[in-house]
Amino acid sequence: MTLLNIILKMAEGLEKTCAIFFLTLLFAIPLGMIVALLRGSKFKIISAIARVYISVLRGTPLMLQLIAVTYGPYYLFGISISRNKLIPVVIAFTINYAAYFAEIYRSGIDSMPIGQYEAAQVLGYSKIQTFFKIILPQVIRRILPSLTNEIVTLVKDTSMAFTVSYQEMFTIGKQIANSQTSFVPFVVTGVFYYVFNAVVGFVMGRVEKKMSYYKI
Amino acid sequence: MSVLAMSNIQKSFGSNHVLKDITFHVDKGEVVSIIGPSGSGKSTLLRCATFLETIDSGTIRYDDRNAAETVNGKAVYAKNLNDFRHIFGLVFQNFNLFPHFSVLKNMMDAPVSVLHRNKEEVREECMALLAKMDLAGKADAYPCELSGGQQQRVSIVRALAMKPEILFFDEPTSALDPELTGEVLKVIKQLADEKMTMVIVTHEMPFARAVSDRVVFMDKGVVVEQGKPEELFGQTQNERTKQFLQNYSNT
Amino acid sequence: MKKRVIALVLAALIAALTFSLAGCGTAKTPSTDAETSGQSAIEGSIKFTMGIDPEYPPFSYLGDDGDYTGFDVEICKAACDYLGWDFNVFAVNWDQKLIQLDNKECDCVWSGMTILDSMKEAGYVISRPYFDNEQVLLVKADSGFKSSADLAGKDVAVQLGTSGESLLNDDLKDLADIFGNVVTCDSFLKCFTELEGNAVDAVFVDRPVADSYVAEHDGYVIIDEDLGAEQYGIAFRSGDTELCAQIESAVDALVENGTYAEIATKYTDIDEGNLILLK
Repeated sequence: MTLLNIILKMAEGLEKTCAIFFLTLLFAIPLGMIVALLRGSKFKIISAIARVYISVLRGTPLMLQLIAVTYGPYYLFGISISRNKLIPVVIAFTINYAAYFAEIYRSGIDSMPIGQYEAAQVLGYSKIQTFFKIILPQVIRRILPSLTNEIVTLVKDTSMAFTVSYQEMFTIGKQIANSQTSFVPFVVTGVFYYVFNAVVGFVMGRVEKKMSYYKI
Repeated sequence: MSVLAMSNIQKSFGSNHVLKDITFHVDKGEVVSIIGPSGSGKSTLLRCATFLETIDSGTIRYDDRNAAETVNGKAVYAKNLNDFRHIFGLVFQNFNLFPHFSVLKNMMDAPVSVLHRNKEEVREECMALLAKMDLAGKADAYPCELSGGQQQRVSIVRALAMKPEILFFDEPTSALDPELTGEVLKVIKQLADEKMTMVIVTHEMPFARAVSDRVVFMDKGVVVEQGKPEELFGQTQNERTKQFLQNYSNT
Repeated sequence: MKKRVIALVLAALIAALTFSLAGCGTAKTPSTDAETSGQSAIEGSIKFTMGIDPEYPPFSYLGDDGDYTGFDVEICKAACDYLGWDFNVFAVNWDQKLIQLDNKECDCVWSGMTILDSMKEAGYVISRPYFDNEQVLLVKADSGFKSSADLAGKDVAVQLGTSGESLLNDDLKDLADIFGNVVTCDSFLKCFTELEGNAVDAVFVDRPVADSYVAEHDGYVIIDEDLGAEQYGIAFRSGDTELCAQIESAVDALVENGTYAEIATKYTDIDEGNLILLK
């Protein structure tokens, strides 16, 4: 197998890696916000549930969660294992990443000076307006660096989908490495992830720059 | 007619009794300064008047309507508090401008999205206000690009853009370098000349004396004395007021 | 600052390259040096570590008592006992087994391992074959699949790094092409779980593993069709010819004194007809 063939074959896996990546971001970013808001709820029970959620999902390995989401429903309730592995994979990644995002949002929300809330209140903004117009834009600006960190980790974590037999880039790299008895496919895999993350880093850098028109 | 009438206000933070049965009113067109040592409760009084703190008991009335009253010894607030919020504006000690909004957006956003007023109309008014305050060139600037004095002036025009009947100032110059206080005080003076109803919590005694119709001296949660500035500053008979003013002029 | 970053990047690249070259190259490098070959003498006794796939019953698996066991494990242990060597088991990551062998994490790979030409080409010392194997398709009994042709367009699971996987990529490519999807799992247990949970329609697997599974689980059948005949052997690092010979002669002695047959009878899933050494 030539290097070009290896790269072409891996590019097929890249498509699936991208699917995990983008779908996870699409669902985990808003879900994380919901969890963060529930965690900050005045109702003790709701906030406790959100705390438990965050602590369990951050306290157990993602690989275990992947296996639990994929095979758990079958073992517990006899529900057939999904043939399209993308579904359980994205669910597992989403609930895991939502927990991390929730903590990042919370730290951002906590870091907002009380004066911003007071100024909005005196001007007559409703609670919802205050959150979406005044607080959230500033929170996003504050948490962007930590969010970037998490997103870079997500790119690398997608490789864990191989544990539930989802044929993403890393699985394909391993398959080629096996059939070729060669280490080259692993190097190619590494380069693929690195380039992916370089793109993520570039995009997030642009977003950060775009948002830094004001000082906090 | 009183724009604001607060009576028998009680407020404690835990075991700290901050406001002890305060009764306080402001008439239309009146400029009232509240002076007093730190911890006297003057800022808390302002925060209670603007609903940033809830009172334990007492009555708060704006334009002869109850915003808060006492039922069975406990304060009960009106359901439509936001309607009352449109009556007043508050200028904070540390400005609390929205850093992600330009100067113009800081001013325009609340009238447009809270009062649902016409955007173009509001823009014209705001630009006129900025011009009047010598800030016309700063409409598109962000708060971080302004000096402290400019930021405080913007926060004053932001409050004015809501067309309040009464404007509260919570130590508006305390966070500013001494050389920047002048431009802010000049703006307040200008508003006083236009007969804007204002309540100013301040440590600037000469300014309070110059601008106020009435000065209120508070200490340890009670109003010790109030009256025309020349009476209070010039010929007070009250020992505590005397002592306070003496300490002040010494420093 | 910038210089340091460049230096770091360069260092990383060099490391990656060296590593990758080493990965390709070690297979060809003879490691005759006994001191570094992993079987170092510890107070007179030689330490021998066998590399196994820990999820490959009946040849190698985690026993009920929590120790690794299985046909291959027991034979190796008996051989080590015979030689007076200190016996150890190391569970390899099956799709990395040869790299781990090169890395001296174990001294051989002995775990129902199919002898592939590519291993010999890469320079590994391979013992003589000891087991005749074939690849079969395991399906659910109620599925109605009777032949590999019935599985056209269906999903088939195979373990990553097994001879079954390489067959489907190579000699049996035509068969793989009629399947809908070939799903690679990182262990056979996952392949079976996928089948159990209806995520795939068949598992492509070595005959003894399928036999063992059918014996222990109701509702599964093996499609009676020999798909790939092959043989099991033991892999040693290139240059370890002498080590291979020592193990082979020890196993011969076990066959001689009946221990080999005795162990074989314990594993009813293993068809004695396939055990080459007992023929």
